[in-house]
This record gives sequence, structure tokens and C-alpha cells, in this order.
Amino acid sequence: MNYFTDSLLAAFRLIISFDANIFRIVITSVTISITATLIAAVLAIPAGVSMALNSFTGKATLQHLLNTLMSMPTVVIGLLLYGLFSRLGPLGSWGLLYTPTAVIIAEAILIFPIMMNLTIAAVNSADPRLVPTLISLGARSYSLTVHVIKSIRYAILAALVIGFGRAIGEVGAAMMLGGNIEGFTRTMTTAIALETSKGEFELGLALGLLLLIIAFALNFTLSWLNKS
Amino acid sequence: MNSAYKLSNIKLEQQRKIILNIPQLTINSGQCVALLGENGAGKTSLINLLAFTTYANHGSIRLFDQAISSKLTPSQRRRIGLVHQLPYLLPGTVADNIRLALTLQGVKRTDIAALTLQVLNQVNLTELADQAANTLSGGELKRVAIARAIAYQPDILLLDEPFSHLDHRHVQQLEDSINHFAQQTGKTVIFSTHDRFQAQALASSTISLMAGKITDAPLLNLYHGQLNQHFFDTGKMMFHVTSTLVHARHLAVDPREIIVSPQPLQSSMRNNFSGRLTLIAEESNAIRLTIESAERFHVIISPEALLSLNLSLGDTVWLSFKSTAVTVF
Repeated sequence: MNYFTDSLLAAFRLIISFDANIFRIVITSVTISITATLIAAVLAIPAGVSMALNSFTGKATLQHLLNTLMSMPTVVIGLLLYGLFSRLGPLGSWGLLYTPTAVIIAEAILIFPIMMNLTIAAVNSADPRLVPTLISLGARSYSLTVHVIKSIRYAILAALVIGFGRAIGEVGAAMMLGGNIEGFTRTMTTAIALETSKGEFELGLALGLLLLIIAFALNFTLSWLNKS
Repeated sequence: MNSAYKLSNIKLEQQRKIILNIPQLTINSGQCVALLGENGAGKTSLINLLAFTTYANHGSIRLFDQAISSKLTPSQRRRIGLVHQLPYLLPGTVADNIRLALTLQGVKRTDIAALTLQVLNQVNLTELADQAANTLSGGELKRVAIARAIAYQPDILLLDEPFSHLDHRHVQQLEDSINHFAQQTGKTVIFSTHDRFQAQALASSTISLMAGKITDAPLLNLYHGQLNQHFFDTGKMMFHVTSTLVHARHLAVDPREIIVSPQPLQSSMRNNFSGRLTLIAEESNAIRLTIESAERFHVIISPEALLSLNLSLGDTVWLSFKSTAVTVF
């Protein structure tokens, strides 16, 4: 048998045997991504709802800025935060560089504009009668935001899933800020990059397969959410 | 009598188009007012302004003699109930929707259950309390929306086209619900409609809207066209008018000022047309005749006049009216 199929079989064996090394990496990856997603969600969802509900000067500019940030390369975020968190940087004394916290911050920043934009789109595509109805029934800024979020909850869940998917598949910022430290900041993506360059192809492949499974599960959830 | 609303110099523009232009309007409290107008006349926009869900570009609205600066206070908001043309119910059951309205309006928690039951009973919807809101029929939906709007006992009830798309039975149920609210002392009801007869049946007074402006003209015989000196040309007919208003685009003829005769009349009246009688209908102690000429005319006469004229459907009749019976605007 050839190199690729041999490695694929070995990768399956690693997954089925619940290789401790692999699962530590998966757990690190998932924990970092979930935390980043939740932090971004707490900030981006209310921000998106209030931006969609209010009109103010500079709204169009802010929308352009968000669109730009959505397509910002992750290495650029990594680079900027590296400058801030490195020993000589302004936040160097916090000692965040090469910690999971740094990766979480980077990924939260990365997915914040995506989630905010998806929330804005969800509010804008909600029933046009929703907001006037709530206002006429006495909803004010806080209760209005809460009830709008409740009404578009499926679209918001979809935004969470998409944000998480973006975070778990991210490699540039995780590498630059996490430093790929084994058992600490080694995520699935950084591990794949490292193991492949080390020649441990089957380990990389096993992680890649798990990443695909997670992506599949996410997409499945997303289409299920869209249906309901 | 206190005024529920006082509008002054209201101008509403959307996409550089003037939607509403109301220099002055007072609506007294304790009245049932119909807002009459064709589609696109600005009825919905006016209802939304009165509900303070949208705001005008210029001018001010006083609510119960209080100036409204930007947003309503919670207690002012609680005085207004709004029912949209196609009401939007929030996810959940009928009772959930009513409870939500009561919660949002700051009604005491302990009163919510009792008030919910009371209002459902009032609009005859008790049996639907636990039904999911998205499974209701059109008529039920409107009644739930009315229940939701009156649950917190507002002083003003605003309804946008409450009777559109409803069958006769549902119209009656809806009229009962609205009447029940209106009969309480001091309550003001304002509803929009394009149906003049519905307006007369329910309302104590009417406000006629035409292209965003309030008009005194009766909207029954309404024609569009252009004024050329003393003639108004609709494209099908020429009317003789006294007005010299240059930019007039609309013309209305008071249906009570038109004289119907089986033969041509020899008189000083400047407008004389012949047409075919197509409808004789009874309408609140009067008779409405519909006559098809180049344009359609509605004429209101007394039942005695109908007897003496001895008309039957299909007859050719002559219509005559003075230029002063015509309003151009």
C-alpha cells in the first residue's frame, strides 16, 4: 500500500484508540474556540442589534469598517496583538504572549465583526413589523434588544456556529500568539502544521480528520437551525 | 373637551417624497374617528405618527396637551394601543402575547393573569388562549392584536385598516370589539379605512386624507386630472368649476348636491351629464344611486325622492350640479 493510504489507516487507528496526545490537543482547541466565541457573542450580538435598530451619523462608515474587518487576514491580527503583548509592547507586563488567553483574545477579535455583521443582517431581515410592534407595546432600549434577540434567536445561533467554525479553523494568530506549546497552547490547526513539517503525517491527518468531523457537525447543526 | 392629539405643521418625507403634510389637526378625546382615504393617501403613515412608532421630519404632535420631545415616557406609551393592518404576533401562544404586552407596559406582576383573562373574555377569545399565535386565522389574528393593544387599558386605540381582508362575520365581531372599547368613557378610537360606508357606520367623525393632505372634500365622487382655467379635465370628462387654483389635481363632487332627473333639465347649472343607473342601495336613512357615465357618479337622495323619481336599474338619467358643488384641490 502506498504512503497516503497507510497514513490514513494509521490516523484512523489513532482516533479510535483515543490517543491521549490527540485528545488533549482537541480539548485545548475546542476550549479556546468556545471561550472566544462566547466572549465575542456577548459583545457582538447586543452591539449588532443596537446598531441595526438605531440610526446615527457614521453608521454607513461603521458598516464599511465591519465589512473590512470581516476579511482581515488572521496573521495581521496576530501581528498587531504580538506587538501589544510582547515583552517590549505596551501590554507586555500582562505576560499574555504564548498563553491560551492571548489566542482567545485574537480569535474573539477575529470573529467579533463576523458575528456583529450576521446579527445586523438578521435584524434587518426580520419581519419589518417586529420592532414597531414591540415599541408600541412599550418595549424600551433594553427590553427591545432582549425581545428582538429572542425573535431572531435561530439566526443568532447560526452566527454563533459560524463564529465557532471560524475560530477552530484559525491557524495564523493561534501560531503567532499561542506559540504552539504542547499541552498548553497547541491547537488542532497549529499541531497539524507542526506535525506535518516534522514528518508525522498520520498524526496531522488524524487531527485533520477530527477537524473535518467538527466542521461537518457544525454544518449539520447550521442546516438544522435553518430548517427550524 | 380635551384634545387627544394636536398636530401642527407636520411634514413627513420619505425618499424625498412628501408623504404627509398636515398644517393643523386636532383630535378630541372620547371620539371615534375614521381616517378615510385611498391607498397611498398616507393613512398608515399618519397612524404610525400618532402611535409614535415613527417621527415626522418637521412639526410637533401634542399628546393629551403634553409636548412630545423625542421618545414617549412609559406612562405616555401606556395610553396608546396600536393595531397594525397585518398584526405581528410574537412567538408563543395567544395568552403569551397578551402577557408580554402587559409586562412590557410595566403592569404589576400580580395583575397580569387577571387582566389577560379579562381581555380575552372581552374579545371572545378565551377558548384560543393557549393556541399558538402562528396558527390563527386572519380574523382571529386581528382580534388577538386588539386584545393585546387594549389589555393594558390605553386611552387611545389606533387601528390601521382593521376591516380589510375580513369576511362579513369577522367584520361584525371586530366591530363589536372596537365598540366595546369605544363605549367606555373617555376612550378615543382612530381607525383608517378606504371604505366610506364602514367609516360612517362606526365613526362619529371622519378625517379625509388625499395625497398626504387633509381635505374637507367628500371622497365619494373623486376624480383625478388637470385644471385648465374653468374646466377640470379628467381625460374622460370635463367639469365646470369656479376655482382658479392653478395646481389642483383632484376634483370631488358632493353626492348630496347632485340632482337626478329622468329628462334633461333646463337650468342655470353648468354641469350636466347623462348616464346609466347601475345601483340603488340603502345607506343609513338615505338612498345611494350609482350612475355610470364616462366616469362613475354616486348620488345620495332621500327615500321619498327615489319614490317620486320612479327609477329602475338600467334607466338613462341626467345629472346636474352647480360649479359650487365641486371642490378642486
